[in-house]
Amino acid sequence: MLVLGIETSTPQTSVALGSETGVVAASLLATGPASHELVVSEVARALDRAGMPRSALTAVSVGLGPGLFTGMRVGVAAAKAMAQGLGVPIVGFASLDLIAFSVRYCRRLICVAVDGKRKELFFAFYRPVPGGVTRTTEFEAAGPGRLVAELIARLEDILLVGNGTLVYRRELEEAGKHVEIASAAFGFPSATTLVELAIPRLQREDFDRLYDLRPNYVRKSDAEIAWDSRRRAD
Amino acid sequence: MRILGIETSCDETALAVVDDGRAVLANLISSQAHLHERFGGVVPEVASRAHLENLNPLLDLALRESGTTLKDIDAIAVTVGPGLVGALLVGITAAKALAFALGLPLIGVHHLEGHIYANVLAHGAIEPPFVAFLVSGGHTMLVHAPEPFRYRILGQTLDDAAGEAFDKVARFLGLGFPGGPELDRLAMMGDPDAIRFPRAVTQRGYDFSLSGLKTAVVRHVTAERGRGREPALEDVAASFQEAVVEVQVDKTLAAARDTGVATIVLGGGVVANTRLRALMSTRAEQAGIRLFTPPPELCTDNGAMIACAGFYRLSRGDRTALDVGASPGLPLG
Repeated sequence: MLVLGIETSTPQTSVALGSETGVVAASLLATGPASHELVVSEVARALDRAGMPRSALTAVSVGLGPGLFTGMRVGVAAAKAMAQGLGVPIVGFASLDLIAFSVRYCRRLICVAVDGKRKELFFAFYRPVPGGVTRTTEFEAAGPGRLVAELIARLEDILLVGNGTLVYRRELEEAGKHVEIASAAFGFPSATTLVELAIPRLQREDFDRLYDLRPNYVRKSDAEIAWDSRRRAD
Repeated sequence: MRILGIETSCDETALAVVDDGRAVLANLISSQAHLHERFGGVVPEVASRAHLENLNPLLDLALRESGTTLKDIDAIAVTVGPGLVGALLVGITAAKALAFALGLPLIGVHHLEGHIYANVLAHGAIEPPFVAFLVSGGHTMLVHAPEPFRYRILGQTLDDAAGEAFDKVARFLGLGFPGGPELDRLAMMGDPDAIRFPRAVTQRGYDFSLSGLKTAVVRHVTAERGRGREPALEDVAASFQEAVVEVQVDKTLAAARDTGVATIVLGGGVVANTRLRALMSTRAEQAGIRLFTPPPELCTDNGAMIACAGFYRLSRGDRTALDVGASPGLPLG
């Protein structure tokens, strides 16, 4: 099995190749707003470095966000076309789940919050369980004030992780001493985690349907939001 | 050589399979007009989301309709600009991933060059020099092509693209979206000489301006209603359309005359306008100029024109690298 992982929902564009025995090649770019445009050439480069032909790929996995709209779309478009072109299965994972999974040994409530632009974060809460994490809330899009209120309302120790903490650190520190902000090194969803999580799903043939796979936008487009509020006002 | 053409620069997800730049084996367009109608214009985020959902099923449909499998495709052509950046990126990324997965050459195509090549699909290769008039919802441009793949822009719109002005006036008159075809239909029943709307005169000879004309239409209708009269909308539509088309035809013929070419090529969604086609054809014939016009179904954005332009680009050795991005303001030339 050789699985390709593609994750572009944050300013970090990450690509990985791996199998049951681990990751064999990976790359990470955060060179600016358009680094996701390099995702296909990074895949080519990773295969080159691993010394494998593209025909060796047996599956594609992709991060579905929530996150940056254009970034998510580029990753999902690349993954879907790659799977369709190669004729291999595809599996998708929520990008926030990838971040939570990477800090699963912390034995605390986990809150993952990524920057959603428009003065909002995308966040969700997780609880560590044997072998991984379980998400206990829906994905939500809200400003830092709302997230702080959610953190205060929970009367237990919380690990707060995600690149949203880089943008709103000062506001989020207001939540109190029961909230520890994790290092930015854990703050981005990674394609290596994607590959690791994809393998058990691929082994039990729990594939996603290519046509139906789409990003977790969570938030509507600005035009739709404006339309909805006009209609409510009428 | 069998080419898959992908076009997602605005609000049509379009895929086509074309043999040797001529034989259209499949040409599928998934229009999003119904998604944008309530907003009265194309919403970039809505368009980008829809492209991503449409693209993969449309590819399977195009392959089935053309009796082809991915193994029979020899190259992938895709619009790289100009257009909406988020929308372009969906098509470009899919094209790159397919080209990589299948080990095929990739060729990026300029959207407006695609509109020129829509004529090649219909009429066969067109030898430069020629003047092209490209007119759509996003562009109004006069271009001189002295030799193959070389373009010199003679003039363009200073404000609204013609299709945009048609949409706005149609919306003002209470017609549907997209407004161009509705306005065209209504104008057929009206008198083009009923109202003498101003013909835009611009400083530079080949540039276009429609904001004054648009204002004149609004002012006319409002004034009539102020006098308690409901203006005949078919006359307003016909007179507005006549004012737009007359200037377009005048300038296109002047450009051909001034550059000394004997061929005019039309391209873009507004070329589906029946009055533009009719007047351009009459005037070109009087001037002894050969006119190439794509059939209406190849005027709107489509993947076949991209595959066709891609074929000619590939034939002369052009290739596009896998790190190509979207160029929302890509110049033609």
